[in-house]
Amino acid sequence: MQKYLDSLLFGFHVIFHPFDGFWDLKREKRGTLKAALTFIVLTICMYTIEKQNTGFLFNTNRLEEVNVFVDIITVGLMFVLWCVSNWCLTSLMDGEGRMRDIAIYTAYAVIPLLIIQFPLVGVSHFITLEEGTFYYVFRNISYIWALALLLAGMSQTHQYSMKKTLFTTLLTLLGMMIITFIALLFFSVLNQIFVFVLSVYKEIRFR
Amino acid sequence: MTSRISLWPKYIITAIMAAVFCLISIKANASTMPYVAYSYDWWGDPVPEPSPYLYGATIDKGRIGQALNNPQDLFEKNGKLYIADTDNNRILIVTSEGDYVSEISDGLMAPKGVFVTDEEHIYVADSGNERILEYDDQLKLIRDIPRPVTNLIGADKAYIPTRLVVDKAGRIYTIAYGINMGLLELDPDGNFQGFMGAARVNVSPWEYIWKNYFSTSAQKQRMETIVPTEYSNIFLDDEGFIYASISNLSNEDHIQGKDALRRLNPTGTDVLRRLGNFPVTGDLYKYYDGAEWSEFVDVAATDYGCYFALDRAGGKVFGYDGDGNLLFVFGAKGSRQGMFSSASSLVLSDDQTRLYVLDSQLGAIQTFEITDYGRNLLGALKSHYYGDSQGADRQWEKVLSYNSQSEEACIGLGKTRLRNGDYKAAMKYFKLGNCRKYYSKAFWFYRKEYMQKNFARYILLIIIPCGIAAAVTIIRRLRKWVGEVKCKNI
Repeated sequence: MQKYLDSLLFGFHVIFHPFDGFWDLKREKRGTLKAALTFIVLTICMYTIEKQNTGFLFNTNRLEEVNVFVDIITVGLMFVLWCVSNWCLTSLMDGEGRMRDIAIYTAYAVIPLLIIQFPLVGVSHFITLEEGTFYYVFRNISYIWALALLLAGMSQTHQYSMKKTLFTTLLTLLGMMIITFIALLFFSVLNQIFVFVLSVYKEIRFR
Repeated sequence: MTSRISLWPKYIITAIMAAVFCLISIKANASTMPYVAYSYDWWGDPVPEPSPYLYGATIDKGRIGQALNNPQDLFEKNGKLYIADTDNNRILIVTSEGDYVSEISDGLMAPKGVFVTDEEHIYVADSGNERILEYDDQLKLIRDIPRPVTNLIGADKAYIPTRLVVDKAGRIYTIAYGINMGLLELDPDGNFQGFMGAARVNVSPWEYIWKNYFSTSAQKQRMETIVPTEYSNIFLDDEGFIYASISNLSNEDHIQGKDALRRLNPTGTDVLRRLGNFPVTGDLYKYYDGAEWSEFVDVAATDYGCYFALDRAGGKVFGYDGDGNLLFVFGAKGSRQGMFSSASSLVLSDDQTRLYVLDSQLGAIQTFEITDYGRNLLGALKSHYYGDSQGADRQWEKVLSYNSQSEEACIGLGKTRLRNGDYKAAMKYFKLGNCRKYYSKAFWFYRKEYMQKNFARYILLIIIPCGIAAAVTIIRRLRKWVGEVKCKNI
């Protein structure tokens, strides 16, 4: 339990000292899978809350069409896809991180989104459109920060140079698309097989 | 037996209900249209709304006693309708109910446009004879304005005036077929003044590079040349501004949401207000396979900024307010009453209670009478335009009772609340009307008011804990100091 709490708090060290932090996260075993999972669950919460509870001025979502389950799956799936795709590629490109390390660094990299966007949901209720610039600036800062952390995390976890990190990031994104495509193809083929078997069965039965 | 008796009241009730329903449906039938009016909400979804205008009557051969043959233009002045009966080579004058008054037919050849000034002087675009004619109120020919003398129109090019307006100073503006440099402006004496209001040509950088550096000459020849759009019709409003409609927008233009309407000031600059959620382009998307994009062929404006555009492709009438918000859309293509097969011209009566739509293929004018909903909707906009917020408020309430989804009405009500200082109610209405701009304004005032009222409370909330904390530390320090002093003394 103590280790879990320590690893949660270590997140604050990671986001301010990314290179040192991500190194320790893996080499010094300061990160835990539990903490990573906590951050991901919190991200999902943040995403759903942000979609529904942002103030009217900054919320262009159609509330009657918001589906919590879709939101949960969106964030969860992105995370899993990223991890899997990154693992597949880095194990080919002599990265040092294991699946567990990848999951951990990815989860720690999204902490800025949590600490900036959660308060912004509240703030959005108290500002006008003219002051909205601040809202958008902070939002963008959180995204840029998280992206920078993701790159730092990858380079430290896999012991990559920056050039290789950028290259791998692009490849990972490509890999995510390919996985999605193959998954869709797989399900469609499965569906066809199922329909085929069903029709054969029906044919025999009603003969 | 008992059961049968107990059934009797049921039969009677059923019978009465059936009768009532029949009556209701008969009553409803009287005002049913073969289509439902709609408008777009903030998300761009079409939302049905009550009809602002209902079909009234058809003015055709049966009423006038003379058949119309491919009529192209319609004008209304002092209770009389002037029809450019193109293929019969005449201008037909009928009353607003459609009774024959007189006609002008001597020497005309396929006249396509007609305009009547306040003195009831009739200007005719005598397209086939390449000239413009002016008649006085006794239908006597006063003058013949021939082809303008200028080398800006090539000698080999035909001059075919199709539509025209004459402003208060007597200047004549005309659209000439095949000339895309804008409207031709003639001075009161009929001399050529220049072109006016040519559409600016926008070429995207990508298109420019592709066209100039990467395509072969054969490709270039097959490509469309980038030319300004030609106007399909013009309308002179009471401020002397010219509304011009554009009908030949390409598929890409529609997808990009280019405007199909302009409002030109006397120097030819487009001053149409475009503050609506969507461009003034008609339908936002095609509803079904094979549907066509809106094609504005005529426009008519009111004195308070609202304007109506006629779409030939979809057979629809689009109503916009002065800010470019879509108010309503009604109409459809077809041959039933209230539908159009090839609408060519649209005219509003002076008090906007009646709409005349000329159909060139049917050779008929259909009249549409305003409904209570439409009267309140336009009335509210008129009151708002002339600064009568009380009246506008009353009418917006009525509009909202007819159409609870009307964003316009909610915004209108919100604006009055905002002006009266009832910021919370204003915010509520702006939220319902999905108007973030005004919501933000109302919210700013609300927040200011709220902070002024509650500032002391919040300051106390901050000061009291700080004070307590300060007091505690001071006491602690004192005690420590007292203790130290004591220690020293001992």
